[in-house]
Amino acid sequence: MTRKSDYVTVGKDTQRKDGVAKVTGSEKFASDLSLPGMLHMRLLKSSFPHAKVLKVHTREAEKLGAYTLTPEEVPDIKYCPRLVSTPEATYKDWRILAKKPLYVGEPIAAVAADTEEEAQLAVEALKVDYEQLPAYFDAEESRKPGATQLHDAIELKGTIINPERNIACTLDLQEGDTDAAWKECDEVVERTYRTNRRYHLQLETKSVLVKPEIDGGISVWSTTQSIHNTRLLLHEIFGLPMGKIRVYKTPLGSSFGSSIQVNTIVPIAVAMALKTRKPVKLTMTREEDIRDHVSYNMIFKVKLGAKKDGTLVVGHLDAVLDLGSHQIQAYALLGCMAGWWVSLYRLKAKSYKSVAVYTNKTPSCAFRGYGNPQVSWMVETIMDELAEKIGIDPLDFRLKNYIGEGEIFWGQGPTVKSVIRSSGVEEILKRGAKIVDWYNRPRAGNQTGRYRKGLGMGRGFHTSSAGAPVPGTVVDFSGAIIKLNEDGTVDYITALMDHGGGTLEAHAKIIAEELCLPLDNVNVISADTSTTVYDVCTHASRGIYSGGGAALKVAKQVKEKLRTFAARMLDAEASALSFRVDNDRKQGVIYAEGIKGREVTFKEIAYNARHKNWGTIAAVDSYRQPACPPHFTGYFIEVTVDTWTGKVKLDSVVAGADIGTVINPKLAAGQVHGGLAQGWSMAVMEDMSYDAKTGDLINNGNLTDYKIPYPRDMPDLEDFEVFFVETVEPTGPFGAKGIGEGALNPVAGTVANAIQNALDIRFYELPLSKERILRAIMEKEGQ
Amino acid sequence: MMDINKHNTHILHRFEYHAPVTVTEAVKLLKELGSEATILAGGTDLIVKMKDGSERPRHIVNIKQIPGLRGVNETPEGLWIGALTKISELENSRVIKEKLPVLYEAVRVIGSVQVRNLASVGGNICNASPAADSAIAFLALDAVAHITGPDGDRKVPFGEFFTGPGRTVIKEGELLTGISVPRDVYGWKGYWVRVARASMDIATISLAATAKMDGGVVKEIRLAWGTVAPTPMRTDNVEDYLRGKKLEQNIIEKAASLAASSIKPRDSGRSTGPYKRKVAKGFIHEALTRFAEA
Ligand SMILES: Cc1cc2nc3c(=O)[nH]c(=O)nc-3n(C[C@H](O)[C@H](O)[C@H](O)COP(=O)(O)OP(=O)(O)OC[C@H]3O[C@@H](n4cnc5c(N)ncnc54)[C@H](O)[C@@H]3O)c2cc1C
Repeated sequence: MTRKSDYVTVGKDTQRKDGVAKVTGSEKFASDLSLPGMLHMRLLKSSFPHAKVLKVHTREAEKLGAYTLTPEEVPDIKYCPRLVSTPEATYKDWRILAKKPLYVGEPIAAVAADTEEEAQLAVEALKVDYEQLPAYFDAEESRKPGATQLHDAIELKGTIINPERNIACTLDLQEGDTDAAWKECDEVVERTYRTNRRYHLQLETKSVLVKPEIDGGISVWSTTQSIHNTRLLLHEIFGLPMGKIRVYKTPLGSSFGSSIQVNTIVPIAVAMALKTRKPVKLTMTREEDIRDHVSYNMIFKVKLGAKKDGTLVVGHLDAVLDLGSHQIQAYALLGCMAGWWVSLYRLKAKSYKSVAVYTNKTPSCAFRGYGNPQVSWMVETIMDELAEKIGIDPLDFRLKNYIGEGEIFWGQGPTVKSVIRSSGVEEILKRGAKIVDWYNRPRAGNQTGRYRKGLGMGRGFHTSSAGAPVPGTVVDFSGAIIKLNEDGTVDYITALMDHGGGTLEAHAKIIAEELCLPLDNVNVISADTSTTVYDVCTHASRGIYSGGGAALKVAKQVKEKLRTFAARMLDAEASALSFRVDNDRKQGVIYAEGIKGREVTFKEIAYNARHKNWGTIAAVDSYRQPACPPHFTGYFIEVTVDTWTGKVKLDSVVAGADIGTVINPKLAAGQVHGGLAQGWSMAVMEDMSYDAKTGDLINNGNLTDYKIPYPRDMPDLEDFEVFFVETVEPTGPFGAKGIGEGALNPVAGTVANAIQNALDIRFYELPLSKERILRAIMEKEGQ
Repeated sequence: MMDINKHNTHILHRFEYHAPVTVTEAVKLLKELGSEATILAGGTDLIVKMKDGSERPRHIVNIKQIPGLRGVNETPEGLWIGALTKISELENSRVIKEKLPVLYEAVRVIGSVQVRNLASVGGNICNASPAADSAIAFLALDAVAHITGPDGDRKVPFGEFFTGPGRTVIKEGELLTGISVPRDVYGWKGYWVRVARASMDIATISLAATAKMDGGVVKEIRLAWGTVAPTPMRTDNVEDYLRGKKLEQNIIEKAASLAASSIKPRDSGRSTGPYKRKVAKGFIHEALTRFAEA
């Protein structure tokens, strides 16, 4: 394999292809689009957390000239908005417009009118007769015997199941002899942890534009992480032939997992377009969006045991998932949570019990890390606590027990196991420790006075994709099309979505590197479902590993065709030809080494191929990755706690990451910066709480009362060091893995450990708000 | 109960728009339109409320085209600040930074650059939020509100200006034209602090403290609080307790406890009463410790 330093394009910082459009504001996101004659839609949402809709009165709204859409008018089928899992793992409990809404904000009806204002007036003119039903806001309450059942019947692979006691799904696992293992332990820590519910707060709110076509088909532009799954679902719901559904790639203004599933508003808008035969647009307000999706809320009862010498032995995790009112991917998550839990450290025996429970809250969906930030918060804080109990330095404890190269790891859970082939864990920990002078950090409990400093560390990882040697219950493959143009450039066409992180930029680099082309000669073409091959979804930190893998596979095929044509033109032996980038001529060049005059540019090849009728050089293929290699991260965070106010200040951050070959250095570091910000926010700021009387969010959907950090809450860049350790992932394109999720996963645990170091107090519930911290200080110091 | 289908639709209701160019004209209009009219200055409070539907005035009276209501001027009595002065103009005023540091500290954290460039000081005060940052500072500076109405001009000390959350002494037909700060308080010691959830936020609790010190002894002191009661409030009893005292450790402790029990915070979705009381103690501690330093 080529050494990293020999790469021409991979690993170099370059200007983003979409950069100018982004910074000048000319990029068009779904909510910026419009079509002539388009109607504006608005939703009528449930005012109650649980009710039966007896009737929707539409007369007054229609009198205003608006179109209306009621639950009776949409296909009466149950669906699951996420199509990433196989049918055995896909629970269907959604209806396009609810007859029995299960959360405040659930769409019941919709209207369409010439302007948004008229549409809003029409919504206000709708009247709904409800029968209110009991609601639950706590997973412990809703699964008590005798609690009202929220769903009567949900579907799993064509069969109806009855979720008794509001249990949506369960998963139990066991490996090794746990009974014997517990007996081997010298120290055991047992704790209960509660996570917060976090809103994604992605930059753009969800939006969709649907155009009914003259042939009875539809064109769709929507906020999505997967155009193909959007088409599949619309096909499933509306029965339109797939050739008549075109879903176009539309730039995403971040997403963080909130559009892995097909958004609730998409089938509603399609139903309206089919009814009115006019283009319709539906954009959620921020207040609607905030009531549309949230991260999963978890309760962990966990037990972890080790020997005196610092060898971890066994663990048990009992996890309760409060999934809210509908399933998007709770079952898949139960499996992943097991994976997140057992993949950082070696446990020779482990047991796992998990249950996902319905409540009358906002439906939960994946949020960057897919439960890993929650699980890793618990793992990394209990590891610290256990290390303390044994009397071993928490960093040494981790070095002794981490799962590294050559070992089996579960990654995305029991169905996605594979062997680790690249690991920079040790280097991350040792280098980070040196930078922060780890072994001289303050001793917990030693400080008095108003301001106390703490230094904490935490590890994290995430699987790059959900690939595996054998298929499990997760679909994960990608595809690409590459074709040579007559000017010697190539068009790269993929269905894979770029959330804004620069994923497609990385693909372009991979193609340029393989084909020996200047980066500018790779055109990233925006396409749609009819002109791309399937890609499952941009999630699971798979954009570069899977999508880039597909791009590389297809680039190699194109390369061979180029070589064959060149050999014909140069009258040379194909296998003897070499490729190089010629930046002066802005061309890829194929040449016979050492033989003067025997060289040809891509442009000349394309010219020749056209005039001699050899055809277009192009290739299309799918690619399934053989593994889901973990990318590893480690954070060292220094904080100051103001013991008079409970406020924690982020002083400095050192973050190390092993992401294999770094394709886009600045953008990769940007992922770490964003991961820190989101993790800090999770640690100290965010929580969605509900008013048990109204069922609505306490903040009424207002961002005024849902804080995330502003730039001024972040450390200065000179106090934020990001380093990448050099590893090469043999299964990744040019040795690359992912970064998106691993950048976030360890942060909350690290912050909690830093606060513990400052105060000698451990917290078991997130967020570590100033109120919670101050209360704990007052309790500890007897005030 | 708030109706989620009508609340925060982001769509402004229909209203009539007026833009008087003199105070007299404005007063006449406001008087005529009575309770149906609402004054618009920077709009950073009002437009938000109109978009969320909590305010639906029939008439909007934009006062920004009235000359003479904007600026920071020194007068023989002290400082005069026009009601339409932008928060960013207070932030950038040299006299304020030098002579009234407590006001400077309070205004520079309001919102963001964009908000401070739009928001007027009069709006911050007349919006009458218990958290209004400039209001707390003015309260600690013995400032006076200048009001003009159909019956002419009147002056109201800040201590009497706020009558409830979102309510002030300003009556129909009246508007705030400016704020004056007496020269007496120039050069007093000042301390300003706020705790919030994030750097851009409504104060969870804030304190503006000013004092005239004489060799470690308190001659005069003002303690004004944000978000501990339905309006910005002063703790007169703590001020009384401290007047004439030397700021020794036990006195500071006593004052801190007294302050913590004198404020009237409630639990809300944003914070809790016990939290604020505890923080209030620390605030007083810090303020008085600084005042005690030479
Ligand atoms: C993102 C954001 C952040 C913010 N952060 C802060 C903060 O940190 N601290 C803080 O204190 N505030 C904050 N605010 C609130 C707001 O910006 C301020 O209160 C601002 O000073 C209001 O001034 P305005 O000119 O925009 O008022 P407007 O919205 O125009 O008016 C506010 C109210 O005052 C009345 N009014 C205005 N002028 C007069 C007058 N001359 N006479 C009589 N009545 C009048 C109006 O009728 C209205 O009821 C924030 C707002 C936003 C949107």
